Amino acid sequence: MKSPTYDNFDSLPGEAEETLRLIANLPAPEGLEDRIKSVVHTSPRTAKVLTWPTGLEQRQGWMQSTLARGAAAAAIVMIVAGGGWSVYSRVQPAPQPKVIAMPRITAPGGFQSAGTMRVPQTLNRPVLAHPRSVAPTAKKPQSQSGKKAKPAAKDAGAAK
Amino acid sequence: MEIALGAVRDETRQHDEEAALTALVSEYASTLYRVAYSVLRNTSDAEDAVQEAFVRVLRHRDTLGEVRDHRVWLIRIVWNIVLDRKRRAKTRPETDDIAELARVLPANGLSAEQRASAAQHHAHVLACVEQLPAKEREVLVLSAFEELTSVEIAEVLSITESSVRSRLFRARNLMAELLHHTRSHS
Repeated sequence: MKSPTYDNFDSLPGEAEETLRLIANLPAPEGLEDRIKSVVHTSPRTAKVLTWPTGLEQRQGWMQSTLARGAAAAAIVMIVAGGGWSVYSRVQPAPQPKVIAMPRITAPGGFQSAGTMRVPQTLNRPVLAHPRSVAPTAKKPQSQSGKKAKPAAKDAGAAK
Repeated sequence: MEIALGAVRDETRQHDEEAALTALVSEYASTLYRVAYSVLRNTSDAEDAVQEAFVRVLRHRDTLGEVRDHRVWLIRIVWNIVLDRKRRAKTRPETDDIAELARVLPANGLSAEQRASAAQHHAHVLACVEQLPAKEREVLVLSAFEELTSVEIAEVLSITESSVRSRLFRARNLMAELLHHTRSHS
């Protein structure tokens, strides 16, 4: 085998093929055949299908009866339904509280209101751009008993 | 009497099959190992691949008589196994190849330093081979086996002989370019 010249890359493809040829001609490790033969002899010949053990196979004959299978299915349904009903009947719905109690926050060291009252913010009432002129109200008719004396007093003052 | 005769026949047939398989292992285990190693570049992986190939042969031993060329048939089996394994495995770093090659390369009177240099060079070439497209790479790797003709390579890869030739031509050109490119950058 020609030894490659590692400093000269002029014959590049040939050198690459030489590397591949070197790899291809590497000897097989010692005892390879024996190891493979032992593996081949110990490996299963054919694929095996898993089957039930013989004892179970004989006992499963009762399952062939339609009546027995129906009874077994009915028993399973009864057990499942009974269990569900017992759970449903025992669980009571929690009573709903009528008043929602708000927690009172009196944390020590927290901020306090210092006696201030909260004044709700209200909207300002609308202001009219052109307020309507208020007409003078008509004088009510005066009663004759006490109200008649006032103009007389004025007249007396004027006379003085 | 008929049952006994059938049992004897089965036993004889099984014995013949085992003998045929043992003969195949003795004759082709080394070749198959080298094919597997050229792709996987790991001794234990290559050995596992060869074992798997013979176990597959064992499972399909009924068709052993119909096979025309056992050598090409076995190489094809192991080739498919190693390609499948390589596809599933992670990409090997070049340093792994250097270490592996330094271990398996024949000494040939080289000093430790020369041997390390040779391993580095071969690993670099193999890294370039890995950069080739799969079709070209496969033909190039198989063409390194002197015992395989272009017709047999075509049979292993299930392609025509002319395809083998054209792919090999392209692979060589690409390798030249890759090695020249790496050389100019180093």
